[in-house]
Amino acid sequence: MDVFILLFTGLIGFYMAWTIGANDVANSMGSAVGSKSLTIKKAIILAGICEFSGAVLVGSSVTETIRKGIVNPDMIAALPHLRDGEAAALLIIGMTAALLCSAFWLHFATWVGMPVSTTHAIVGAVAGFGVVAAGWHSVDWNKMSQIVASWFISPLAGGLVAFVLFKFISTSILGKEKPAEAVQTYAPFIVFLVVFVVTLATIYNGLNHIISGLQWLTGFTSILISVAIGLILAVIAKIWISRHLRGKDTLPIAKQLEEVEKIFVPLVIISSCSVAFAHGANDVANAVGPFAAIAHIIRHGTVEMKVGVPLPILVMGGAGIVVGLATFGYRVMATVGTQITELTPSRGVAADIATAATVLICSRLSLPVSTTHTLVGAIMGIGLARGLGGINRPVTQKIFASWLVTVPAAALLSIIFFVVGRYLFLDNVIDIVLAARR
Amino acid sequence: MAIIQNLFKKSPFGPIVEHAKKVHECLEMIKPLMEALVYENYELIHELQARVSKLEYEADLIKHQIREDLPRRFFLPVDREELDGFLECQEKMADYAQDFAVILRIRKTKLHPHVQDKFFALVDQMYQVSGNLLTAAVELKNLAEASFGGAEARQVLSLIQGLGEEEWKADKLARSLSIDIYQLEGKIGTFDIIFYEKMLLKIGAIANEAENAGDFLRAMIIK
Repeated sequence: MDVFILLFTGLIGFYMAWTIGANDVANSMGSAVGSKSLTIKKAIILAGICEFSGAVLVGSSVTETIRKGIVNPDMIAALPHLRDGEAAALLIIGMTAALLCSAFWLHFATWVGMPVSTTHAIVGAVAGFGVVAAGWHSVDWNKMSQIVASWFISPLAGGLVAFVLFKFISTSILGKEKPAEAVQTYAPFIVFLVVFVVTLATIYNGLNHIISGLQWLTGFTSILISVAIGLILAVIAKIWISRHLRGKDTLPIAKQLEEVEKIFVPLVIISSCSVAFAHGANDVANAVGPFAAIAHIIRHGTVEMKVGVPLPILVMGGAGIVVGLATFGYRVMATVGTQITELTPSRGVAADIATAATVLICSRLSLPVSTTHTLVGAIMGIGLARGLGGINRPVTQKIFASWLVTVPAAALLSIIFFVVGRYLFLDNVIDIVLAARR
Repeated sequence: MAIIQNLFKKSPFGPIVEHAKKVHECLEMIKPLMEALVYENYELIHELQARVSKLEYEADLIKHQIREDLPRRFFLPVDREELDGFLECQEKMADYAQDFAVILRIRKTKLHPHVQDKFFALVDQMYQVSGNLLTAAVELKNLAEASFGGAEARQVLSLIQGLGEEEWKADKLARSLSIDIYQLEGKIGTFDIIFYEKMLLKIGAIANEAENAGDFLRAMIIK
């Protein structure tokens, strides 16, 4: 019986990961594909590698938040008048309800044509059942307020960073008398930035959940290593760029600008990959967070979650994302990704780096955020810096308004599923939990 | 997801450059029209007028497309009013060229030798203004790429700088030509004089609009 639950919820989790991969790959790789820097096929392959890496290497923090950071399992266990094993059973049913309702909501929203954030859905769903299962105090409102704040801050931060980054690019490279000369000086900085941020986000304070025995990888050491790797790649970039642009700084400005955009092509590929990496790190939790809770309870029979998220679960989530983006994501990219032609490589780089940095920092802070919203914020930032031909403002309002709907809707749905599930299955699940303890 | 796709629409700057080029094609018909007038080749005038009419229509189509793709609520890197103003000036230039062609067509006017040279000088000076404007306008795509700043913007601004002076020279020429025309009072028919004045005013108006367009372009860049 417990195998059945694991299989059932595991499959739903995998399915969620699949949907996440399919829907969001166009956001990560869109700037590379839209600016014709990458073919769709190569974009899918690269996205697959990066999403998987992000999920496995950095995905544990946010998964932990979904697993036990929003609904505090100890609070449920501390409820009075609970039968033996009932707390565990309630959590299993609740997490299953959250998973089911998110998957359902994802489909409904896509069918209706609404923009949807898996992050908002899952957080709303988990908080929803928590309140009903064990009352107001079972939800860690401190954490919840941090999460909701991050939903406001991440697009703003993305916008700010993108604005500053693009202003930098336009003043120090595109605006110069000889852009082809300026890019040789300043593009390496951008390479350094991207490499530094991604490396540091990955290795800061050790990769303990993957490789044990790396005690020397402290915070300070991580920074040093990230700086070093960043510098090495920046130097390589400088050599490559200089060789490419030899003698081209005497062309007319218009031609030089074209050449500069060409130099930004490999940069935008790297930056798109970093967004895919960041997305995997933050969004894998939406798929496997609830499942991680369920798996733990079934395996150990208690709600005490002292052990970290097991690696195989992250691998499962990462695999789901990859399968999703390789199958359905391909089609989404073909229809959507190729039409984003206004995002030239120079703009794409700024938007991507801003998004990746913001999402990665939030991931390390264990905060689930919407990569899509952050990217939209970044794009608005570039628009403010006069970098884009025109932004459809009502669309942004629609996007940001959609999550006002998503969170309560997901919470409500989750509550309904939970109440029904509790009524129908509570006794069965308690038996399974007790059996697991023996 | 359709989100990111719907976020961007087409940039208007490519089509604006197309429009400017099409408008200039209309203006380029003016010199051949004048020459046809001198040689009293009224069939050619008829033909040229038909061509200008078509070109002006094509420019209108481009302008309509730009307007359609650019709803009010768009967030643009330039001021919306300045962009609209620029487009309107361009449109007027094409309209005046069309009007000029019609003026030559509706009556078989003869161009008196006394005013011939000055007329051609005026047309050339008009081309100075409109030509400089065109050189600046076609840079709009590059300006958008450089996000309206830096060396590219400085270059375009310096192109626009001279427009005011060139238009002033056109005005002076037009005044001097007017005086010459009225000196022919009594020597040629009244209707000839009326038509010379009409022609002169149209050419002067084109130079005017070119200068105004330059002003709007400057405002767009500086924002």
